[in-house]
Amino acid sequence: MGKTPATGRDPVELLEFKTDETSHIKLKRETTCREKCVKKPCTTICPTEVYNWNHETATLDIQYPRCIECGACRVACPTGNLDWHYPRGGFGVAYRY
Amino acid sequence: MADSYDAIVVGAGPAGSAAAYIMAQNALSVTLLERGPYPGSKTMFGGTVYRRPLEEIVPAFWQEAPLERPVVKDELWFMEGDSAVNVGFTGLRFGKDPYNKFTAQRSVYDTWFANKAVQAGADLRTSTLATGLVYDKSLLGRRQDRVIGVKLDTGEEMHADVVVLAEGVNAFLTKEAGLRREIPPHAMTFYVEEVVALEAGKINERFQLEGNEGATYGMIGYPTAGTVGKGGIYTYKEHVAIVVGSYLDQMSTRSHSPYELLQRFKNHPLIKRLIQGGETVHYKANLIPKGGYDFIPRLYMDGLLVAGDAAMMISGRRGTDLAALTGMHAAETVVQAKAKGDFSSRTLATYMHKLNNTFFMKDIRSARGGLRYYRRHPDSDYLVASVLNDMAYEFFTVDMSTKSEKRQRLMKTALDRQVPSKTLMDLYEGYQHWGVF
Repeated sequence: MGKTPATGRDPVELLEFKTDETSHIKLKRETTCREKCVKKPCTTICPTEVYNWNHETATLDIQYPRCIECGACRVACPTGNLDWHYPRGGFGVAYRY
Repeated sequence: MADSYDAIVVGAGPAGSAAAYIMAQNALSVTLLERGPYPGSKTMFGGTVYRRPLEEIVPAFWQEAPLERPVVKDELWFMEGDSAVNVGFTGLRFGKDPYNKFTAQRSVYDTWFANKAVQAGADLRTSTLATGLVYDKSLLGRRQDRVIGVKLDTGEEMHADVVVLAEGVNAFLTKEAGLRREIPPHAMTFYVEEVVALEAGKINERFQLEGNEGATYGMIGYPTAGTVGKGGIYTYKEHVAIVVGSYLDQMSTRSHSPYELLQRFKNHPLIKRLIQGGETVHYKANLIPKGGYDFIPRLYMDGLLVAGDAAMMISGRRGTDLAALTGMHAAETVVQAKAKGDFSSRTLATYMHKLNNTFFMKDIRSARGGLRYYRRHPDSDYLVASVLNDMAYEFFTVDMSTKSEKRQRLMKTALDRQVPSKTLMDLYEGYQHWGVF
């Protein structure tokens, strides 16, 4: 999302993360998103816009450090193509409040 | 040689901490695993802890737990673009001992609850992710269904007579054990939340509260933009939490961005005035397993029990308290099993018998039709809210017509939108399924 039109601010900046060096989100098959998925719900349902469709390369860009680990993308994915797991213990988002 | 315990509990949320606390009190050796750096660091909830259910586990907990405000005021708003029909109740008795419910912040509340277990003798291991289950392979080398421990992301194994899975909504281990299938998006609701810092004085003024009294408001109609769900505002001491969410399939097929939905809700003129001048300090998101009775997994097998969100223990608006209660029942089952020295599924089945006798299981069973209804009528919340607001505008507008003309126009407003019996049904289903009050 970066800076959204609604607030001019990126909500991810409010949060604390300990980012692992490797991604906890992978695609099972790179080509499935291009060939089998029209609406790409992950790009809208993700509350922190981890997923962006790159039109030039026709691939899904996954910004895993932004992930707040709700799991909505995995459930909403119509092709079941997301290999989504929790980050290793102690990594990822740490909510306050 | 792997560490060995009587019980391993996966997840230090309310289900896991309740289970660990009760087992530790009964002198079992217990380890409680939490993947976050501290309990409550990965979660959100509907803002309130209920007194009556939780005191089953920790009597008089409100005298020691880090709570925000006792809630004396509940409101439900049927919202439209520039109006709202409000139904509410303020009961000042709820502001006094023994109270009714409290707002709380999960990062401190969950930490407190897990520490209760620690004080009772349980080990708490934070920053520890369980990635798999360990099965007994002793018989002929073939994979047995008896669970004897968990694997950690460090490669380490821990062993126990019984594993209690309180791993939350995504429930990877429950699925691995073959107890739960994939939950489809229409059986999940999805909520996002912002925490807004606001002075206590302003909170009290705007929500008509005094001292430490708290309020929870729920809103249907406008907040979810034509889907079934709700918005809400809860008062903490010096913050308000504002949430919005609805069924995951409905949001995702409409390409609704949950963050944008929340900003739209915050910008409603009646919400804006509640949070004006406040500073947004936090943002969260969480899935709720709303599948109901038909989606409840098998909750036990040899050496394994499942509790809380992983067990899909949600009834209407309630979940956090039911999680703790299922944790309690799981723990009591394990204590019995320990006394018997038998952790087979035959003994652990007691857990299911206990749950079947609870009020919430009876409610979950009787609410079976709700999911179907909302899948067929995703517009029901919108219709109820818009008919009520149109009628209210008509009713309260001071004009120059006769009473009978006004009555006729009021009737027409109701009839034009949809068959009135459908509106009644929508309200009834809302009450049944959502558990508004």
